[in-house]
Amino acid sequence: MQSSELEGAPPAPRQAPTERYEPGSDADFERLYRNTYRRIVGTLITLVRDVPTAEDCAQETYERAYRGWAKWRPDAPVEAWLHRIAINVAISDRRYQRLRQAGEVIRRLGRPAPGPDPAMIAEHSLVVQAMQKLPPKQAAALVLRHYHGYTNREIAAALDVPEQTVASRLAAARKHLQAVLGK
Amino acid sequence: MRDIERELEQELHRVLDAVAARPIPPRRAVGSSAGLRALVGGAGAALAVKVLTGVAVAAAAVTVAGAATTGSLNPAVWGQAVSDQVVKCKQDVANSGQHGIGDCVSSFASQHGAAVSSAARQHGNGDGNGNANGNGSSNSNGNAGGHSKDKTKDHTPPAKTSSISPPTFDPEPIDQVNTHQPVTISPRP
Repeated sequence: MQSSELEGAPPAPRQAPTERYEPGSDADFERLYRNTYRRIVGTLITLVRDVPTAEDCAQETYERAYRGWAKWRPDAPVEAWLHRIAINVAISDRRYQRLRQAGEVIRRLGRPAPGPDPAMIAEHSLVVQAMQKLPPKQAAALVLRHYHGYTNREIAAALDVPEQTVASRLAAARKHLQAVLGK
Repeated sequence: MRDIERELEQELHRVLDAVAARPIPPRRAVGSSAGLRALVGGAGAALAVKVLTGVAVAAAAVTVAGAATTGSLNPAVWGQAVSDQVVKCKQDVANSGQHGIGDCVSSFASQHGAAVSSAARQHGNGDGNGNANGNGSSNSNGNAGGHSKDKTKDHTPPAKTSSISPPTFDPEPIDQVNTHQPVTISPRP
């Protein structure tokens, strides 16, 4: 069992250069899931409205990834590929968010007051709330840059856009956050 | 700018590390949610909404058309309305001296459409179509005497006018006074 699988452990660092995956291999995909799940969820939390939705979107991300797993090229950075899928899933989720809002309100009625759940801390964070209101691609650039530590070049590869586009998205996102948070 | 970047990193790690450190759930089986998602959102939902809307509009149109014609939503009332119309047409024909109630009844019945017509056919025991067909054949044969016979016969016995009885299709002689030669139609060789 890897350290990232231990309960309570922080997310594992990005994929080591020595980490190899065989396209189409179920065992390797399961390993990929274990190694990257937490970071994908961490990204998605800043893109969608709450933690349960982020976890649902993460599962959807791995479903989509599994369908294309046999076609994945080993020379492409696998986590960047997963992040690209996750961002698309988050964008789709925002489109259908209004449809689900009524059901969510009904589902939550009568629930006991929330305890000190980390998910609630995330949902009440002003920074996370501000990022959830950003355009998903801007929020994704921020979280990849400032949470996962990607360089602009790596973000450009992950999102399949020019590096200059990443820089402008980051600048716009920071400006928006400054305005929202009053910095 | 550097301050906000540093604060952003600290806040993201403080918040997201705690969430991301939770146990990893088992991976969801591929395809387990695809059907539900297709139903809840996307083309499936759009198609379902369109179909349901079409059915609802069609049902409402039939109901409103019937209600607008008879003033009631009850199909039994539609049939009763047709029966009443038949009686009224008979009286009008008797008073005006005209022949045949087919035009009178058919103009009323045609407003109902197919659904209302079938309801009227059952409820009114064939009054509308029976009379209309009978008159149609009478007119084409020029059997004015048949109707004048009805007039002379005083055609309104109390029991018959008070209750709406179905017309009979007994082969009674059309031209009892023998004013016309019977017409025979035989197929051409």
